[in-house]
Amino acid sequence: MIRTGITGMDEMLGSGIPKGTRVVFSLEPGVEGRMFMMRTIASALNEKKNVCILSPHCTERVFFSESFEILEIDITNLGGKAVILDSTVRESINSCEKKGTSRKLAWKKLIEETLEQHSIDVFFVYFDLLYEDLGLQKALDLLPSGREKHRVTTVVEHLNLEGDSLISRFASENIFDLIISIHSAFTLVPFFNFFTLEYVSWARIPRRSIPYRVAGRSIRLYIPKIIITGPPASGKSTFVSHASDSGISVDRGDLDGCRTTVAMDLGWLHFRGFDITIFGTPGQPRFDPIIPQLVKNAMGIILILDATRPDMLVRAKELLHLAHAEKLPLVIAVNKSDLPHQMDDVTIREMLNLRDEIPVFFISALKRSDVHYVVESMVDRITRHPY
Amino acid sequence: MYIYQTGISLIDDIKGGISPGSNVLILAPSMSSGEKLGYAIMRPHEGEFALVLTTVMRSVDLMDFFSSEEFNRDAIGVIDSVTKLSTPDVSDTTQIKYVSSPSDLTGIGIKFSSLVESIFNGEFPPSDHALFPPPIRFYIDSLTTLLMYRKLEVLYQFLHVMTSKLKKMEAIGIYILNNESFDERTLSLMKQLMNVVIEVKSEQHGDFLRIRGVPGAPQEWVQFKIHKGTLEMVA
Repeated sequence: MIRTGITGMDEMLGSGIPKGTRVVFSLEPGVEGRMFMMRTIASALNEKKNVCILSPHCTERVFFSESFEILEIDITNLGGKAVILDSTVRESINSCEKKGTSRKLAWKKLIEETLEQHSIDVFFVYFDLLYEDLGLQKALDLLPSGREKHRVTTVVEHLNLEGDSLISRFASENIFDLIISIHSAFTLVPFFNFFTLEYVSWARIPRRSIPYRVAGRSIRLYIPKIIITGPPASGKSTFVSHASDSGISVDRGDLDGCRTTVAMDLGWLHFRGFDITIFGTPGQPRFDPIIPQLVKNAMGIILILDATRPDMLVRAKELLHLAHAEKLPLVIAVNKSDLPHQMDDVTIREMLNLRDEIPVFFISALKRSDVHYVVESMVDRITRHPY
Repeated sequence: MYIYQTGISLIDDIKGGISPGSNVLILAPSMSSGEKLGYAIMRPHEGEFALVLTTVMRSVDLMDFFSSEEFNRDAIGVIDSVTKLSTPDVSDTTQIKYVSSPSDLTGIGIKFSSLVESIFNGEFPPSDHALFPPPIRFYIDSLTTLLMYRKLEVLYQFLHVMTSKLKKMEAIGIYILNNESFDERTLSLMKQLMNVVIEVKSEQHGDFLRIRGVPGAPQEWVQFKIHKGTLEMVA
C-alpha cells in the first residue's frame, strides 16, 4: 500500500493505494489541489519508496522549489530516492522527434528504462503536457500497467479542462483504479473546495464529495456549516454543546425563568477526520426572519424534535420550510426519547412529509454517543450529496 | 451595477464604460503601444483592484513600471510566470505570486484564485474607498506568449473557464494578442470569448486604435497617446 498522507482519505480507501494500481487526481482550473499529488509523493518517499516524477512543465530545480513551497519540507531528505524527468527531457524529445508516434516511442523507452534501472515503486506523472504533445490515448499508453512484472504504482495529476466527460471516460474504460476529481464551489468568491471520490476499483465505496481546506501545509477535510434547528425547548443547545469540542451559546432567560437561544449556538468539532462547524438556530417564531440567513451556505440540516411534544410537529414543519431543507441533506433526531412518549417514526414521517431515505433517530441529547451517532449520519449524507 | 471606466472616451462617453463580466481583447502588432494600452485600461481606479498575469516582464520590473506610471501599487496583484525560470527559489508574497513557466496553467489558475481570495479577505493594503464586491480588472500580458507554450485548443478551454470565473466575480478581463503572429483561425477563436475588440496600429505620426463590439461607438481609427499610464485621445 502507498499512503496518500491525507487524513481521512487513506482510511476511506482502506489504508491507502494498493501496489500496482493507477490513480488520477483530476483538478478543476483554479482549485488548490496540487497538495494531493505532493502529499502522496512525500508520503511515498517517507516510506522509503523509490519514486520517479515526470514533470514536463518545469525543471528539476523548480520542481523541488515548488514542492518546498507547497509542503514546507525538503522532499529530497525523506529517505526514498526521487528521479525526475523534467522539462529539459521533454524539450530534448520534442526537438529530436517531430511526429507523435516517434515521440511516444522515445518517451516509452525512456520511462521503461528509468523504472527498471532505478527499481521504481511509484511513478508520478504531471500529465497535461504529455496529453498535449501526444494526444490522450498515446499519453495514456505511456503509463505502466499494474499487470507488468514490477507492478509499479502510477499516480497522475491532470488539469481537467474538459469537465465531466473526461472523468466519465476514465471511469467507463477502466483506465484508472482510483479517480479523484477536485473542484471548488465558486459563488461570488471561491467558497469551498471539495474532492469527489469518483471511482475505486478495489473497494465498494459509493461516489462521495468531501469538502477540504488547505491548512498548515496539509489537507483537512472540512464541513463549514451544519445547521441544527427545531421547535423551542426541543434540546438544540444541548445537542450543539454535546456534539462540540468547543463552542458558544447566546442564551437569555425568558420571563418564565427558562433559558432560550436568541441568536445562535455555535460549536466546533473534529470528527472522523473532519473539521466541522455547527450552527444552532433559535426555535422561537419571533426569530424566524434570521433563519434563512443562518442557513445560507449550509451543507446539511439536523432537525431536533421533542419526543414528548407531538404538538410541536407543526412548528417543526415550519422550520424545515424556512430552512429550505428539501434542497439539503437532512437528518431527524427525536430527542428526550428516554422519557415516556407516544411519538413514533410513522407519525413523524407523515406529519413532516419526509422522503423514505431521510433517517429518523430516537436519541437523548444528554448522551454524547447518541449525538455523535446523529452527526456521523449527517456527515455520511453530506459526503454522498451531489454538489 | 458597477461600470468599469476604460479611459477610452469613445467607450466611456457613450456607454459609461464596460459592464462587469466583459472581456476586452487588444489586437496589436509588435513594436506598437498595445501593451501600454492594456496597462492603461487595467489601471485600477479608486476602490478597484487589478491582477496581472505577466509572461513578458518580471514582477519586480513590472512594479517599477507601475511606480513610474503612478499606478496605485497597493491595489495590484501579479502572477509572475517569468522570474522562476531564472530564480527558482523565489517565494510568493501577498501581492506577487510566482508560477514555474507560462505553460503552467494549473499554477496560473491556483495563483489567480489565491489573489482573488486575498482581495476578498481584505489582505491587500486597506483603501479608504473600498467597494463590495471589490471590482477587479484582470490583464493577461500576453496571450501571444501563452500560445507559444500551449496549444490553441487548450488555451481556449482554459480561458473559457477563467472568463466564466471573472463573470461570477463581476470582474473584467483584458487580453493582448499580437495579431501579426497568428492565423485567422486563432484570432477568430480568441475573439469568440471577447465582448470588445480594440485593434491597434502604429504609424509614423502616432498610434491609433479602432473599437469593435461597442454599439454606438465610432468604428474609425482614432489617434491616442499614453502619458503616465493614462490614455488620451487625440482630437
